[in-house]
Amino acid sequence: MLAATTNACIRIARARRTLLLTAAAGFALGVSVTAHAAETHKEAKLDIASGGTLNVINGCGSVILHSGSGHQIIVSYIVHSDKVEVDQNSTNNKQRVELRTHALPDQKPTEEEAKVDYEITVPAGVSVNVSTTSAPITAENLSGDVGLSSETGQISVTNVARSHLRVRSMTAPVILKDVTLTRVDIQSTSGGVTLNNVTGQRIAAATTSGDITYRGDCSGGGDYLLTTHSGAINMTLPPTASVDLTARSTTGSVDNAFPLEEKHHNTFTPQQGRSFSGTSNSGSSSVELQSFSGKIRVKKQ
Amino acid sequence: MDCQKFQETLPFIIESGGTGEDESHLKTCPDCASLVQDLRYIAEQAKLLLPMHDPNPRVWQGIEQSLQREGLLEGRLSPPGQSSKYPTPQQQAKSTTPVGSILALLAVIAFAAILFNYHLKQLPPAALSAQNTSAEPAQLNSDALNSDDRQLISQQAPDARTAYESSLRDVNAYIADAQKAAANDPEDATAQELLQDAYQQKEMVYEMATARSLP
Repeated sequence: MLAATTNACIRIARARRTLLLTAAAGFALGVSVTAHAAETHKEAKLDIASGGTLNVINGCGSVILHSGSGHQIIVSYIVHSDKVEVDQNSTNNKQRVELRTHALPDQKPTEEEAKVDYEITVPAGVSVNVSTTSAPITAENLSGDVGLSSETGQISVTNVARSHLRVRSMTAPVILKDVTLTRVDIQSTSGGVTLNNVTGQRIAAATTSGDITYRGDCSGGGDYLLTTHSGAINMTLPPTASVDLTARSTTGSVDNAFPLEEKHHNTFTPQQGRSFSGTSNSGSSSVELQSFSGKIRVKKQ
Repeated sequence: MDCQKFQETLPFIIESGGTGEDESHLKTCPDCASLVQDLRYIAEQAKLLLPMHDPNPRVWQGIEQSLQREGLLEGRLSPPGQSSKYPTPQQQAKSTTPVGSILALLAVIAFAAILFNYHLKQLPPAALSAQNTSAEPAQLNSDALNSDDRQLISQQAPDARTAYESSLRDVNAYIADAQKAAANDPEDATAQELLQDAYQQKEMVYEMATARSLP
């Protein structure tokens, strides 16, 4: 009798435990389904003429660009609410294609609801312009002209060659890596600018209070101009760098730990602690570092 | 330095000349330059209104003697040692005449009237802050926002306003510093380049805002 009662209790306990586990699993599944109900995943293939231009306007979310073969733009995007939509437009001759995120009429989405995440494959030779408010922009392996602009979204560019790259940023970092044989023009107010192995005919980066960090050899015989108001400029060069380097800070300081030969002819008189100049190897690239009140440091890799 | 601060130091400028900062402001502000010119002219002219010295006592004595000989003047010359109704050499200090006093008073009134007319013309706050923004070095108001800046910020989405405000303050401070450096040494090419860069930074912020506001 006692054994039977005990077995019954065990069976009831096991059943109760199974019931609880099943209910918990069902609840979790329900939550997951609800969370993804508002997200819409779409894909599109858009024709674009050779050498055409792709414009992407997206406030929040993210934009990822990479190159691909073929002659079409392949867009994959996730819309996080039903309060926004993506318009796809192109000119008749397919020279210009535009992807624009916007709120639906009478809708006022929150930042979370306004998010759209783009992943775009761009054919070789197509120029790209991307403008966001807070969405970070990531571009890699592109070959056409690239224009990237964001108020507060981080901008990252990797492995771009033989291009013209224009970057505009306010407060978020700008990071360039392995950008070669490219004309680079970067402007940022307080966001820091980091350049790793960035070379080309003209490399210009200007900030107000953001720091500029350059690591590379300044090769190619180009002009390198790094300018800040109060941000620091830190440059690290390999011993093989061939540069004609000038560094000046109006009210800040300069610090040189890179071997330079004194120039025979200077356009200004170097001032101890405020400016210096010199050449390394054959001095084929011109490097100018200017700051109003920031500290300028040059050191050997 | 703005017009208000400059005009507070006007008495010292008229009296003993201005500092380098005052001179810099005069070069950039035609209103204040005109005011200083007028005040200096008045100060120069006012000196001419100082009381005239009385003539030498011998002149008076000669006149008195002539009048007595003509029978037009009663009395006689004061004997030595006695007081005379005419000023003695010791009393030939810079004694004032009523006419001189009135003219001096008129000069002071004219001075005050010109000061009042030039005194801090009621500039709109935007223009005042624009002067502060453009001329002040890296001090309290060098990053001040002008009316265009504030309007631009107000037109942005709420989540972007903080970024625009901080960026505009940064670039305004940059412009102020660069302007001062360029003004201190107009031949300094680096200063000119930094000023150009500062303006380009501000242009960038406005371009981004404008592009954002377009449909």
